Amino acid sequence: MGGAESPILVRAEAVAYGYGPSAQHLRPIDLTVRPGEFWLISGPSGCGKSTLARCLTGLIPHLYRGRMAGRVAVGDTDTDHTPLWQLAERVGFVFQNPTGQMLCATVEDELLFGLETLGLDRPEMARRVEAALRQFDLARLRHRVPQTLSGGEQQKLALAAIMARRPPLLVLDEPLSMLDSTAALELVMHLQALTGAGIAVVVFEHRAEYLKSIPELQVLSLVGNGHPSDIESLPRVPSQTNPFVLQVRDLGVHLGGRPVLDRLTFSARSGEVVAIVGRNGSGKTTLMRSLAGLQAYDGYVSASGEKPDFGLVYQNAELQLFNASVRAEILYRLQEPDMTWYDWLMPALGLKTYEQTPPLLLSEGEKKRVALATVLMRRPRHGVLLDEPSLGQDAAHKDLLLRLARGLAGAGQLVVMTTHDLALAAHADRLMVLHEGRIIADGPAASVLLDRRAWKVAGLAVPPWVRAPEGQA
Amino acid sequence: MRLGMARGSATGRLAALAVDSPLRRVDPRVKLGLSLALSLAVMLPVEKLLVLLLIYAAFLAWAGLLPVAGRLLWRLKWVLVILFVVDWVLVSPALAVLVSLRILLLSASFAIVFATTTPTEFRLALEWLRLPYRYAFSIGVAVQSLGLIEQEWRTIIEAQRARGAWAPPKGWRKLLESARDAVALAVPAVVMTTHRAWSMTEAAYARGFDAPGRQSYRQLRMGWLDWILLGAAGLLVAVLILWR
Repeated sequence: MGGAESPILVRAEAVAYGYGPSAQHLRPIDLTVRPGEFWLISGPSGCGKSTLARCLTGLIPHLYRGRMAGRVAVGDTDTDHTPLWQLAERVGFVFQNPTGQMLCATVEDELLFGLETLGLDRPEMARRVEAALRQFDLARLRHRVPQTLSGGEQQKLALAAIMARRPPLLVLDEPLSMLDSTAALELVMHLQALTGAGIAVVVFEHRAEYLKSIPELQVLSLVGNGHPSDIESLPRVPSQTNPFVLQVRDLGVHLGGRPVLDRLTFSARSGEVVAIVGRNGSGKTTLMRSLAGLQAYDGYVSASGEKPDFGLVYQNAELQLFNASVRAEILYRLQEPDMTWYDWLMPALGLKTYEQTPPLLLSEGEKKRVALATVLMRRPRHGVLLDEPSLGQDAAHKDLLLRLARGLAGAGQLVVMTTHDLALAAHADRLMVLHEGRIIADGPAASVLLDRRAWKVAGLAVPPWVRAPEGQA
Repeated sequence: MRLGMARGSATGRLAALAVDSPLRRVDPRVKLGLSLALSLAVMLPVEKLLVLLLIYAAFLAWAGLLPVAGRLLWRLKWVLVILFVVDWVLVSPALAVLVSLRILLLSASFAIVFATTTPTEFRLALEWLRLPYRYAFSIGVAVQSLGLIEQEWRTIIEAQRARGAWAPPKGWRKLLESARDAVALAVPAVVMTTHRAWSMTEAAYARGFDAPGRQSYRQLRMGWLDWILLGAAGLLVAVLILWR
């Protein structure tokens, strides 16, 4: 483990950074990392976590043209005077989005990429590939296309591809954000094993609860730029929907000859907040697409006899945004927009100050809120479907999301969300667990969370800190 | 070199269809060479072109690639029909046949490469052609990303439909609206492609992309099938040149 006498792997001294000429996206930070240390860097959205990660790995200043202050040294050399390939030998970096860092056509080639750049001889490359496949349990996937793997498998591959290079320091930017609870706990165990072997690990993460039980965890909290004050109190949502019952009977979807949804039957009432959880590939997103009318299916889906009309907000909000301003985005293609509703939505979603801002320049949390506003402005008759709404969101944004969901449900809408975040799901009125296209548990969140058999079948671990909120248990 | 077959990417999906093709065992340099030679041969006169087309169709049938080539051509059906009609009306039926044959062959000429070659093999072939690694790698990644782009395009259409911002065009009167809606698709597509390109750039540099002493693990080796194919292609070229 690291001690004052251990060599310093990376040292940041008053490092600060701004992507533009005047803005400061990272306030001055000091950090010293030694072998075997496990660091958690936390902080609210927009506080500069990803920026600091890039400073530590040398991507800033080599690939970015902003303003950097202070100094970062890897070993005994400053990052700005060291070529990136030399820094990459000493600092491994696993990015937030595993899909975006897949460079090759097969898992095996993905592992080879970083070994080839080290200039190793071929037998040594072969040895390291085999070792990485074994260590990270990827052998059965060696000929698969990385983009076709699940989020958890991709994250493991990204880590394996870096660790095969054997860097003494590993930096991970929100590695848990796309993982379900089981995959997240497994990854944390892997990282602990690495620190046990003397490798230093620096994790930038919102879901800090997964790391807090690690002995000797060192924590650095970054200070944010504050949250929008206009979303502190949510105005009451105007009541707008007649009570209805969503009925789903024998819903089946086959994709590529494989049943993705297998005769699902359930009903839900207006005014409910329903969370759907399950491992990757369990059919969550297909169910949402079916309810939104975007997926052909067998079976019967209706809302009190009508074809359901839901708005679907995607995991990646950028898919839905393209206009020049937030206002134009929200009002796009509406013949006679209800401006009273618009005037309610803007402050309720904390978007009032961004009306003239291009949506694509907003933060991830803000983009999600704009995407939600575009869907709500259309006034879907039966409610909204939120696909992984908490992905990459800090606690304050998750809290806002929950209050919004409650507000919409209070106004008679049905809110259905899929999530990997069991702590968020615990706050729903109702929790459904999907496994291989079937519902294996369904009921009040508090009781489903206690259904050990269902979680075992689903292959999901319920971490000890996930408890039903007060009043539900 | 024997690599596992890629499934899922654009080339991978095509390749997965032709997984049993004997061309999977052929060196990518040979396949690239054959495709380039074929794309130059489209300048032959019409009677030789017809013979070449028949021979190439027989070759594709032997390689189990007729369905792949058929799908590629089906995508071009409107281009072929329009060109054929325009040439027929404005010039002559003979030119219409010649131009259509040339486009047909040109389009199908690279089917054997894209349907049976993994991006890694493709990159190695380009490196053998003395293309610097960074460019060969970028081209390989671009080829590999075609399937992703197609998939993302479908997701964007769906996402825009989910917010009520896009509907399939219906009739000529909707043309203007469709043009506006095209922006709704193009902007996210450009943003996502740019993001992905940047993410991959960062990821590549984080794994030493710019290292000077890179060693390639995969090696290309010519086998007996490669030499037979080269010999047959050479013979065919000689016959076509000498045939009067």
